[in-house]
This record gives sequence, C-alpha cells and structure tokens, in this order.
Amino acid sequence: MTEENDRNFGRRRFLARAAKAGISIAAAAGASYLLYDSKGPGAGGKAKELVTLPDFSLPARPGQTISVVKGSDRIRTLNKAIELLGGIERFIRPGETVAIKPNVAFASPPMLAATTHPDLVAELVRLCLNKARAKKVIVTDNPINDPASCFALSGIGKAASQAGAKIILPKAHLFRHTTLAGGKLIKDWPVFYEPFAGADKLIGIAPVKDHHRSAASMTMKNFYGLLGGRRNIFHQDINTIIAELAMMVRPTLVILDGTEVMMTNGPTGGSVSDLRRANTLIASTDMVAADSYGCGLLDLKVTDLPYLAKAQSAGVGTTDIDSLKPIFATIS
Amino acid sequence: MKIVTTRRISQTFFFSIFVWFCIVGTVGQKWWQLRGWPINWFLQLDPLVAIGTILTTHTFYRPLLWALATIILTIVFGRFFCSWVCPFGSLHHFTGFLGNRRKSAAQKIQLNKYRRAQCIKYFVLVLFLSMAAFPSLAATLQTGLLDPIPLITRSFNLVLLPIADSPVSFVSIAQRFYEGAWLILAVFLTAVFLNLLIPRFYCRFICPLGALFAIFSRFAIWRIGKREKECIDCKLCEKACEGGCGPAGNIRISECVLCFNCRQDCKDELIGYQTQSSLAGEVTNPDISRRGFVLSLAGGIFAVPAVRLSGKLAGNWHYKVIRPPGALAEEEFLKRCIKCGQCMRLCPTNVIQPSGIEAGLENLWTPVLNNRIGSSGCQLNCTACGQICPTSAIRPITLAEKLGTDEFSDAGPIKLGTAFFDRGRCLPWAMDKPCIVCQENCPLSPKAIYTREYFSTVRDGIFTVKRAVDKTIETVEETIAPGKFATGDYYCISEDGERSKIAANTENTLVISADKRFGKIPAAGGKIEVQVRLQRPYVDIEKCTGCGVCEHECPVSGRRAVRVSAEGETRSADRALLLKR
Amino acid sequence: MGLIHGRARRLESAVSICLLSILFLIGLGVFIKQFDMDMSRFGISTESDTGTIRQPPLRSIVPAGFEALSEITSYNPENLYEKIDGKASLYVESGFKELFTQRFVSTSDESLWFELFVYDMAAVRNAFSVYSVQTRAEAVILPAFAYAYKTGNALFFVHGRYYIELVGSAESGELFKAMTEVAQKIQANLTVDDDSRIAELALFPQEDLVPGSVKLYLANAFGFEGLTDTFTARYQIDDETITGFISKRPDLQDAQAVAKSYYNFLIENGAVVKNTAGKTLEGKIVDFYDTTEIVFATGPFVAGIHEAQSQQAAEKLAIMLINKLSKAAKAESND
Repeated sequence: MTEENDRNFGRRRFLARAAKAGISIAAAAGASYLLYDSKGPGAGGKAKELVTLPDFSLPARPGQTISVVKGSDRIRTLNKAIELLGGIERFIRPGETVAIKPNVAFASPPMLAATTHPDLVAELVRLCLNKARAKKVIVTDNPINDPASCFALSGIGKAASQAGAKIILPKAHLFRHTTLAGGKLIKDWPVFYEPFAGADKLIGIAPVKDHHRSAASMTMKNFYGLLGGRRNIFHQDINTIIAELAMMVRPTLVILDGTEVMMTNGPTGGSVSDLRRANTLIASTDMVAADSYGCGLLDLKVTDLPYLAKAQSAGVGTTDIDSLKPIFATIS
Repeated sequence: MKIVTTRRISQTFFFSIFVWFCIVGTVGQKWWQLRGWPINWFLQLDPLVAIGTILTTHTFYRPLLWALATIILTIVFGRFFCSWVCPFGSLHHFTGFLGNRRKSAAQKIQLNKYRRAQCIKYFVLVLFLSMAAFPSLAATLQTGLLDPIPLITRSFNLVLLPIADSPVSFVSIAQRFYEGAWLILAVFLTAVFLNLLIPRFYCRFICPLGALFAIFSRFAIWRIGKREKECIDCKLCEKACEGGCGPAGNIRISECVLCFNCRQDCKDELIGYQTQSSLAGEVTNPDISRRGFVLSLAGGIFAVPAVRLSGKLAGNWHYKVIRPPGALAEEEFLKRCIKCGQCMRLCPTNVIQPSGIEAGLENLWTPVLNNRIGSSGCQLNCTACGQICPTSAIRPITLAEKLGTDEFSDAGPIKLGTAFFDRGRCLPWAMDKPCIVCQENCPLSPKAIYTREYFSTVRDGIFTVKRAVDKTIETVEETIAPGKFATGDYYCISEDGERSKIAANTENTLVISADKRFGKIPAAGGKIEVQVRLQRPYVDIEKCTGCGVCEHECPVSGRRAVRVSAEGETRSADRALLLKR
Repeated sequence: MGLIHGRARRLESAVSICLLSILFLIGLGVFIKQFDMDMSRFGISTESDTGTIRQPPLRSIVPAGFEALSEITSYNPENLYEKIDGKASLYVESGFKELFTQRFVSTSDESLWFELFVYDMAAVRNAFSVYSVQTRAEAVILPAFAYAYKTGNALFFVHGRYYIELVGSAESGELFKAMTEVAQKIQANLTVDDDSRIAELALFPQEDLVPGSVKLYLANAFGFEGLTDTFTARYQIDDETITGFISKRPDLQDAQAVAKSYYNFLIENGAVVKNTAGKTLEGKIVDFYDTTEIVFATGPFVAGIHEAQSQQAAEKLAIMLINKLSKAAKAESND
C-alpha cells in the first residue's frame, strides 16, 4: 500500500517535472527565437535615437524685427529694446516655460565681459516671470570650463536664481544625439537637448566679443553652448558650424549686448583693456541681422564673417539690416 | 560496455578535439591549419557565453545558437556537459583522479562529500550576470574571467601551446608572445592544482557555467537516484563522486555531474539513471541563501559603476587601448568580449595581445594591439580576428570594409588609431641622423608617412680649408675620421653657399661628388660647412590607419619614436581627430 | 535478480553504443566541416601574396647630376585619380595595376627637374595601347628603345608591361640627358617577363608608313564594339594621310564575320556602297559622309582603311595591305 502510494506519488512528481522540463525547453527555444540575431552588430553599433530641437521662433512682424538702443545702463536699454519690438508679452505668453541661453562659457568675472552680464540675465528673467507671467524660466548653458564654477564666477547663477529662474547645469543624460537636415557637420552629434525640449520659448542673450577662430562671437556663436561631445573638433570649420547652429536653433528672440565690447584677445579676453564701451544693445528675432549689426561694433564688416553669408543663404535670416527697418532709440 | 567507460571515451574525445582546435588555430590551408575547423565550437556550445551576451545586448547572435542545444539537453538529461564534454572538467577530473588515487576509500568518501561552500559558484554566477544585466547602470560582460570554456581556451592557446611549441616550432614558425601570460597561467594552474585539495575543486566551488547548468538541470527528466529507500549505507557510491552531490543520501541533483561513478561503485546495483526520483530523497534546488543571493546581485549591480569610477570609459580612456579592426565601440565591445583569446591566437602577426588592467579592470584579457610584440603591425589585407570572434565583439568585416574600397569607399578605411612621432626620440628629428624606416614600411598607398628634406649642420661642422684642389678639400682641423661623411647623406657647403654631396672622405680630407663642383673652389683659410641631409617624417593624419607597422619597425627599439595611440579610431566618433567629411 | 541485471547491462551497452555513435557523428561532422574553407574571409588571397608590403620594382635609378626630389609614391586603380585625375579611366580600362612616381632635380640647377611615371599595365599590349593612343603629335621616335618617342620636354616609352613617362620641367639638353639615363637604367634594371614584341606591327607595309604612327585600340575601335585589339597606322600616300587598320582574329571565319558586321555597322550608320576600279575590293568600299571606308578579311585578319579623303589613295593602301596580309596568312598556315 505504501509502496503503491510511493509509486503513484513518484509518477505524479515525474509528470510534473517532465511538464516543467518541457516548459523550460519551450521557454528557452522561444526566448532564443525572440532574441535571435543572425547578423551581429553593424559598424555603428546600435542606432541612436535622433532628436530635433523644437522651433521656438514666432511669425515675423514686419518693422518689428530688430531694435537697437544706445545707452550705458543695460537694464534700461534691455527694457527699451524689447519694448520697441512689441514688449515681452509679444514673445512670452502667461504660463509658458522660457529657456534663456546666456553665454556662460568661461569662469570669468562679469567685469571682463567674456560672459553675458548677470544683470542682463536677471532682468530678462524678471521680465519673463513678472511682466509676461511665465510659469517657469530656466537658465542654462554648457560651458567650456567646469559648469558650476562658470555659473558661479560669472555671477549669472546667483543673479538668475535670485530673479526666480531655475539654473540647469549640463549633465550627460540631458544630451541627445541630433542630425541637422541639410547640415554637413552636425551629424549624429550630441546636443544639450532636454532643458530645451521642455521649454515653450527660447531667448538667447550674448555679449559682443572678438573670437580667435571665428573673428566674432555673438548671438549665433552663443548657441555653440548647445553642442556636446568633443565639440572643439568643429573649430576646424568654424564658419560652417556657426551657420549650422543658426539653422539648428530657432530662438524666439535674441539679445546682443554691446554695452561693453571685447575688441581683442577674444573669446576669453582677460583684461579690461580688451574692452571698449559701445553702449549699444540689440534685440532681434533675426540672429543673422543682430550679428550683422553687432559686427560693426567690432569694426568688422559683414563680409569679414563668412558664417553670416552662409546662414543667410541657408535662409536663417538676413545680413541686409536696412531691409528690416531697424528701430533705433537712445537712452540718455 | 560500461557507461563509465563510454564517459571516459567521450571525455577523451572532446578533450582531444579541443586540443586539436587549439593546435589548428593558425590561419592557413594545410590540414593542420585553420581551414574550416570549427575552432569556436566549444565557445558556441557554452550557454554562459550565449546568456551573458543576451543579457548585455538583448540579442541571441546566430553562431551562439549551439548553446540552445546544450541548454535543452541539460534540461532533459541534467549536467551531462560537465562530465562528458567540458574539456576543463575533464582536466579536473583527470588531475583529481591522479592526485587522490592513493588515498583510502574512507578518505575518498570524505573528500567527495557535499560541502556547503559549493554554493559559492552560484554567487559567482549571479555576480557576473548581474554585472551584465543592468545596462542603465552600465553593463559589462565579465563571465569570461571564470567561464571554464573561455578560461581553458585562453590558457591553452596563449600559454600552454606557445610553451609546448617553442622547442619544436611546429604550430608557428616564430615564437608567439603574449603579454601578461603569467597571470593567465597562474589562474589556470591554481584551478588545476586545487584538485589535489579536493577533486574537481573548480567545478564544485567556482565554475559559473556549472552553476548555470545546475539551474537548468532542475527539471531533468532522467536523473541519478537510488532504486531502493534502504541500503547497507556503505557510502561507496560517494567514493568517486565527481560532483560531490551525496548520492548515498538525499542526492543533490543540482550538483550531480552525471559521472555515473556511483552507479559503478554500488555493489548492490541500487543506483540508477531513471525518470523516477531517488527513493532515498533528493534536493533539486541549489543550496543558496537569500542573503547571499541578494548580496551577490547587489554586488554585481554596483561593481560596474565602481570599476568605472576610474573614468576609463569616459575622458580618462586609455590611449593604448587599440582594438583590432572591426572592434565595436568600447562600451558595446565590453558587452560582448568574453576574453577567450581566439583573436590573439589567430592573429598572424601576433600583434593582438591580452590587455592588462592599466586600461581598467574590465579590460583584463580583452584584445589590444601592442606593436612592439609580434612580427609586424596589423596587416593591411587581413581580417582574421573579426572572422573568428565568437561573439562579434570584433565584427566579421570584409577586406573591402577594412580597406575602405568598393561599397565602403565613402566610409574610408577602418582606422585603429593614429601614429604620432616623438620628435624627442626620432633619429632625424632629435639626433640629426638620417632614417626613413617608418616611411619605407608604411604599407598604405599612397603612404601615410611622408618626409620633408632638411639640411642640418653637423656638430662642430665648420671647417677651415687647408688646401683645396678641384673636388678635394683638406681641412686644418684634424677631426675628420676616414669615411665619416662618406655615407651619401653629407653635404659640403662652400662660403658662397654652394651645396654639394660629399662622395668620399679620407683622413681630414673631403671629396665632393664627381658630378658637381663648387662654383668657386674654396681658398686656403676659407671656411666650409658640413651638413647632413635629413628626411624628417610626418604623419598624414587623413591617411594613417593606425596599423602600427611603422611603430613595429622603428629602429628606436625601446620606447619607439613613432607610436600609435587610439585617437582617431573609427569605432568611436568621440575620439576622432578630424572632422568627418 | 541476475536476469534483471543482465538486461540492465545490455541496455547499458546499447546506450553506450548509441553515445559512441553520436561521438562518431560529431567527429565526422568536424571532419567534414574542415573542408569548408574560404580563406578570402580572413583576407587571405589564395592566388598572390597580397598580404606583403608592395615595394616599387625600381632600384637606384638616380641619374648623374640629379637627386631624388620626392619619395617614390605609388597609386592603385582606386586612387589613381588623385595623381592624374581625369585621365585615370584611360589607364584603368586598359588593365592598369599600379603607378609609381618620383621626382628628380638637378643638383646644379633647381629649376631643372623631371618626374618619372612608371605605369604597371599588367601586359605589354596594354602598355603599348596606352603608349600609342597618347603619342604626341610632335613626337620624335627614339630608335634606341623598342617603342619610344620624345617631345621637347619629355620622353615616353614602353618596357615590357610598363608604360613609362619622363616629364621634364623645361626643354633642356641636360634634362634630356638625365631622362635618357633613367630610361636606360629602367630598361636595364626593371626586369620584365613578357618582353615580346607585338607581332601585328610587322604586318603593316613599311613603305609610306608614317614612323611611330601605329596605335593599338584594345576595344571599341572607331566606335564599333566588334573591333577589339585593333592596330591602326598612318600612311603618307600621294600627299595624303591615310589610316589603315588591322585586327587579328582567331581564324578566317571569325575575321569574315567581324568584317561583315563592321560593314553592316557602317551601312546602318549612313554609309553608301561605292563602286571600285579594282575588282579585288568589290563590295567592300563605302562612302561614309564624304570619306572612304574599306573593310575586308584576309586570312585571320580583319583590315581596312578608315576615313580616307581620296578613294584612289585608299584603294592603293588597301591593296598594299591585302598583299602583305595574304602573305602573312599563308606563312601562318604553313607553320
């Protein structure tokens, strides 16, 4: 009787085991089938998912594309320049998220004007938050030097966060690969993407600087900060990359600060003797136009900056400022 | 015929073909060379290779499909691989037998009993697999360190075979070298000598592949077990138990390696291999504690970020990690490389070497090129490493892809790195000595190394003319040894700046080349200058593929004056030196 | 008990035999697999030693009074265009294998330099073809070489399977002397296995032949696909330059077929049949847009006259060709 039970029990156990073995084999075979890879990896490894930056630009408003305000007080010239283009409300709607991209390339003091002036950033943040009632303003850049020190030493970090903005420092996971349609250089290249992907509007704000490689660094060159990876490789073809940046990034508005202009030893400068007071601030929805005006502050002609012509022929904007009927104003 | 005899034949058979596959691993067409011998077969049968790469890449690469057969057979029959196929297992089996054959039956029973520590192998397995399984935290495939098939493949091919072959030079004409082979040998010998302590020490305590088989053997349909509940309890069945699975009592199915010794040794023939479970009871699950499992899992998860703290996969990547042509980008490469050493075995020039740990712990025994070792650098027309790589960590590229011809002409040739000149060591640059060995040996067409001519005044090279007749100039200084300037590289410059080659020189006398004469023969008391003609080498970075032939040939044989480093390698865009056009 | 165990042993033996059979099959499988080899996958060519570093087949050839100005540089069919750009296709289509170039400069005058081009064309006919079709108008034939001519600043010749150009920087006696020296050194040092002369050249009647005017078209002569391996030569007859051509075929039948199809090709393209004074050429002459074309087959040869202004001169040359070729055909059939 017990032997019989044992045997029955044994048989049941065997059947259960055999069933499990069968299921295991089926699972192994099924998993193999699902994961089967007859070819092996390709040359480029796994294809990366490519992203495209959103287009932040607004429809053009003839006669209100570019404004040039003379004056030594940045805060007043900024307010005036934006006001002349229709006010901050034209650009920012209540509840929107605004990304501001200043030039925070170096860990250098505001006095040297190698970076965007912190007062200017702070005022722009306030305009967005208080006047245009934006929901959120983020200030971000991918500097050449250590990001935290750049934001700290340039004064931008403190000024912007006091004004109510959120500072986003670059981190690896914020970068995504992109390819610029019609581009030659920006191909499967990492860009600082995530902070901008979540924004509704983008304002670039840059100083006018001499630049060793590209002759001048202004609003277009400012977006170099969006490139990740070993971007210095692009210095071999600086004009093309700046033009491609202008094609890739479509800001809502750019501010070009020529209050103090770095005339020599750019882009780092390093001495106040590199600077000259030009007391000019430009606001524009056309980066090419803004930079075309700005190069005059460096005693350069539009033709001295090949990237301007490249960007113009790519349809980014115009170097013919007069055709835009710029609005001039002076604040005494 | 006894099943144990059959098992021994099987072990001998598989061990022999394994050794044979090691011997024939030389690219060539003779019957004892590579031809079509399936020298990767054991690696392909190894399910740990397959499952490891599945975890890291989420694909089951076709050549590894053999592993599915092993898995299915294991599910049905149990751990047959360990005692019937595995060449490493057979080696342990044999050395364990040799080392313990003089012991008494009681001692043997004691040696072969089950030990709790046999669970360590499961933790090893879990550790390795969890290192491989979490790509968001950075995955790396390190199973190859202890996986017995890559381990024995590496040990035989890179250490034992070169040692055995060095007196006879049968397998390879030139002595093969493998940097750091001592460590591979040390691991191998340790594993082998541990059998003297406990037979099949490696299989029972360490082997992650055995652990994997143990898991798959859970539901084995046929299994070893007692046919009767009761027996005389002589324990003789445990005398030669290879797995240490305790067949006398509650047999541990997960530890049983199907050696059939118990069945052989049972005088009453009470042990059988059957579909029925042992009537004396059995334990199917591996004996692992939850705490141990969690610890090894967590250990694996955090080991990878910990190892990567040194930044070897970030900005601190090691410039000496020059991977073979077709190697995947570094992270993908580390997800596939099982450190088997087949590429190093096959490389005709012996330039592919097992890496040490200077480029990161993960890199241990992965292939890197060392141009100072071997008969030459990476050969232009060779793709052997990629063709043999069992996991496609080095892709099986065609010659057209390597050379950038035909459909690959847009992509250009595959670059392994770039050659750089060390002008502080290069003879024409640093020492004013003519040398164009690197340029001459550059295999590319047109060459990636070009030279620029430069005339340099030799040390104390201004001489005062004592007497000059037509082409023969005698100097006041008595410092010119005969033949010193007669190599054809030296030139004489007259006061009016005319340069002409020195054809011969005797003691303190220079004879200028016959087809040339000075416009004005120098007068006595005038000055002449002796210059050496140098061809200083440069690298054309757009052409250089980093093959390393120049580095190999450089006559500055210690620290070479031209060295390849991995910048510019095709496989990683972020190490490029130039913009892609 | 004994019976049961006996059965168990038999089963054991049977299983063993099964397992050994499996081992045998595995061994057999491995053995069969080893025949499955494709060494080209490993980059190993079974035909030649392409794995070795190619060194140019030139030894020291620096002429007296000159020195090397550049390294020897080599080009293959893929990158030939980097050196000679648009002309590359001419060479590549004619069997080009490799080009070696080097520049030499006079040690006494920097402005005097020349460049040496050594084209490895794989076969003497290929070399002669690229040599002959490029022969410059102002060529002066150099009798010291098999096939060679010079122009004001350059020297061109065929040496076995190599076609060699020496291009100087100026029209200078010193340069020419140096280039000749290089040419002689190449002739002496550069070993070639196929040095045989091209037989067809002897088929052209020497009388009235413009020296050095023979050209070889490997394919597509006169735009007609069927005319391969076609030699042309210019003749000065009755103050007129006339081109005759000869192409050797395997046999008479083939020659007749090619002659017929070329004739049809001319007719299809607008040629008009012409009458002839001499009977021998009946039905072989056409008027092709005011020029005379003659085509005929003699023995294994297709031959004829191309674009002649005067029919009379054309017929005269045609008859000269026929006479010469029929002699050659007879000599050949006697062999």
